[in-house]
Amino acid sequence: MSLIDLQAWLLNEGIKTELDELTKRTVVTEIDNLVPSADSVAVVEIDWSRLLLAGSILARSDQRLHQEAALRIATGAVTLSTSDPVKDAGTVLLGKLSNFRAIALAGERNLLTADLDGRLGMSLRIEAQRRQMDKAILVESSGRWLQVNDFQQRFWKDAADHRWLSASAPTASGKTFLVLQWLIDQMRSGKARVAVYLAPTRALVSEIEGSLVALLGKESGVQVSSLPLRDKYDAALAGGARLIFVFTQERLHLFANILGDAIAINLLIVDEAHKIGDNQRGVILQDAIERAARANPGLQLVFISPSTQNPEELLADAPEGVEVAAIDSDAPTVLQNVIVAEQVPGKPKLWNLSVRQHDAPLPVGVLRLASSPAGLRKRLAFIAVAAGERGGTLVYANRAADSEEIADLISQLLAPADLPDPELLELADLARKGVHPQFRLAPLVERGVAFHYGNMPSLIRLEVERLFRSGKIRFLICTSTLIEGVNLSCRTIVLRGPRKGIGHPMEPHDFWNLAGRAGRWGDEFQGNIICIDPHDTNAWPVGVPARSRYPIKRESDAVIELGDGLADYLDRRATATLPELEHSDQFEQVGSYLLATYLRLGSISQAALAKRHDPAKVAKLDGRLAAIASQIDIGSEIAGRHPGVSALGLQRLLDAFRAYEGDIENLLPAAVDSQDSYDRFVTIMRRINEHLFPAFMPDGLIPLHALIVVQWLKGFSLAAMIRKNIDYHRSRGRAFRLPVLIRHTMELVEQTARFRAPKYFSAYMDILNLHLRGIGRVDLIEHDLDIGTQLEFGVSSRTLLSLMELGLSRMSAVALYEKIARDDLSKEGCQAWVAEREAQFEGMDIPAIILREIREKLLPESSEQAATSTT
Amino acid sequence: MPSKPLTIGPLHFAKKGDAAAFLQAILHRYDVGDKVSPADEQVLRDALALHPEAGAKIGCGITHFSVRSADFGTKCFWINRPDGTTEKFSYKACLTG
Repeated sequence: MSLIDLQAWLLNEGIKTELDELTKRTVVTEIDNLVPSADSVAVVEIDWSRLLLAGSILARSDQRLHQEAALRIATGAVTLSTSDPVKDAGTVLLGKLSNFRAIALAGERNLLTADLDGRLGMSLRIEAQRRQMDKAILVESSGRWLQVNDFQQRFWKDAADHRWLSASAPTASGKTFLVLQWLIDQMRSGKARVAVYLAPTRALVSEIEGSLVALLGKESGVQVSSLPLRDKYDAALAGGARLIFVFTQERLHLFANILGDAIAINLLIVDEAHKIGDNQRGVILQDAIERAARANPGLQLVFISPSTQNPEELLADAPEGVEVAAIDSDAPTVLQNVIVAEQVPGKPKLWNLSVRQHDAPLPVGVLRLASSPAGLRKRLAFIAVAAGERGGTLVYANRAADSEEIADLISQLLAPADLPDPELLELADLARKGVHPQFRLAPLVERGVAFHYGNMPSLIRLEVERLFRSGKIRFLICTSTLIEGVNLSCRTIVLRGPRKGIGHPMEPHDFWNLAGRAGRWGDEFQGNIICIDPHDTNAWPVGVPARSRYPIKRESDAVIELGDGLADYLDRRATATLPELEHSDQFEQVGSYLLATYLRLGSISQAALAKRHDPAKVAKLDGRLAAIASQIDIGSEIAGRHPGVSALGLQRLLDAFRAYEGDIENLLPAAVDSQDSYDRFVTIMRRINEHLFPAFMPDGLIPLHALIVVQWLKGFSLAAMIRKNIDYHRSRGRAFRLPVLIRHTMELVEQTARFRAPKYFSAYMDILNLHLRGIGRVDLIEHDLDIGTQLEFGVSSRTLLSLMELGLSRMSAVALYEKIARDDLSKEGCQAWVAEREAQFEGMDIPAIILREIREKLLPESSEQAATSTT
Repeated sequence: MPSKPLTIGPLHFAKKGDAAAFLQAILHRYDVGDKVSPADEQVLRDALALHPEAGAKIGCGITHFSVRSADFGTKCFWINRPDGTTEKFSYKACLTG
């Protein structure tokens, strides 16, 4: 029997029964209020020696199932057995799996008796030592050795001699940790002067920025910034402090626009790189990567993605002669148990739980609920409370509204603490003052429950995540923001019929990306994913998804492959009136990207994408693009500055400006504090809809969009915007429901003021300036902060921008700005203002979390954390 | 009742309705947020003089006129004053005053 046959036999027959028993026992220890099922009472004795021997054979396999079994045996031996020799052998097996963090955890939990080395004997110690040395990497800049797993080691080694690298591994493989270590090593050892870390969401940007600042520590000589401003960049290039930018793809474009494309990035890290396939923003990411690579052909590029099938796909566009490497790992680091929950017939408070195995479900016991769960939200809430009573429990909700409702239900089942935690009280205070006195988060947080969705202000969301990690928030109800790239792990996930977006059942790879959050590597040995009503086809149209990895596919490639749809769209784009294009999101972004590429190269057959498609199709698209390009004289540079905005739309807007017969000044936005600015924005949005792209639809809602944009630019706090929205409804006698109005205002801020408006207003201003230069009215061109940056950050005054440059979140910056009289303070001016008044802060009614941030960022000497960061 | 002629500055209208249509046409030439051109501004100054509350509307003076939104999605003329304040006025009130 070959080794491979032996491994397969062990799993399928040899140790199957004992492994099942082990699975049951480990799961039972992690779930509260579980009455073991009758058949598991008939105990199967576990023969640890046999299992451990089998585990060591399975550990040599590179198949996930075999590795998982070896990990389960090792974990079981360490956590369940009472015998020292068995625990010791389990530890050795964990060492074989390079799972040093689990060994450290066993030590922290006092599961191992002291002096393991002494008991192992000389020969085993020599072997363990050799393994530890084999699985360690040298951090060049510090001379420190870092113990790593197989994936991390391959990454470190390949990154040294490959210029383009694509690494994929499951969640909780230590990807982000290692990449950040590697990035810092590159900066400290002088291999890069300016690096950019791209993250898909602002939430992840904040998180990565915070991690980098913490890892770098004080006086590191490396700056971290997430603001697309050029002063630190110029200083870094001139030999000053090296610089790491943490950007979204949109901010990288904004920054490249500010620098006029001469952007000298040495190192680009693309996190969550599989999002190159996302509808709409995927092509903007692709464009950002290509733009950086064009500007510096010597760019070092690292892609990281979770559990993808084909990480090598991202390397297809590497320039000729560049060494590339793909690193693909599927090895588990913590046990993940998928458990299905089904109601016991006729007994709504009793739920059968079974672990899902590859062949048949394995019953583990009956979960007893405190109340009868009428309705779907109650099912989620009550099962989460019963099974995940000890905390670290994440509940997945399909919509923001559901997350609030479920959180409320859960909170009612928890006994209030006699003395609420001061940090929870501070967060509740921030929610009341920063959003609304009746914002539902506040009373929930006081009971250790919170919700989390994308449009919430980042300061609040980050604090929710921090307190969940620390265990003070015991139940967190989240929406898909969490699978969009927030690194948050948990002990238990509870879900029922998960959807992503509106109504779309979650794809298997998204489900597994979410499920991967269960089990905190280094903090827990395992995680549970509880899937409710597995046989309900409304909830789970194709059942609970089998394990799956993400196939990477660029959005541009996917749209091109759709057939003639894109070519037809390009025809329609050139002739149709714009309001007819309202539902054209599928093609607009890719069409714009191809048109910009065509304008730059004269044919898309010259572009890297051409080699991935049928030449006949490329030629056909080239023909359509040529016809459109003949109508365009704005030049390829302007087209390239606005990813996702059609050059044809830009041209139409220019034509409209040229044909405009009124006073040319009426085309300009008015200063945001002037009385005319709101109406001017209304008209500009109408022009954008009519000529550029129907971005602010329907027409009747333009006044609302314009109002939000003006308030945002004026630096209004979210709380003030919500108050004004309430006043607006009341003054017009319109009915409203407060939670809906609060969520809607947050959504308008994020989706209109911070996403659509910057994108399309930037394009509007660029074209307007082109027109003004063309007609000799350069005097009307403003050279202040561009509108895209103003909108991205929601600032229009120098003081507010300085506060944000110093690292404050917008919420804190606005709270402080309300107290500052001058609107023209520099960074130093703001620091001086704060230093002079520090003693008076307590009396200013500023929430404690905001005060903490102000002190950390503006008074670095009074804080342990150095202010090397700008948010 | 025969319609009355109306004079706005140098402009003579055979009936009030003609004057209203004339002013309305000016209003609709502009998008909201637009500053009114010098030629139209003179017409508006003359029309405003006929407004029953002209003094209060003008206040400390007029720097320029603009067209902005009014209630219920309509638009109307606004006076922009030297002190930065603004005041809307109805051209129809100028004709009935």
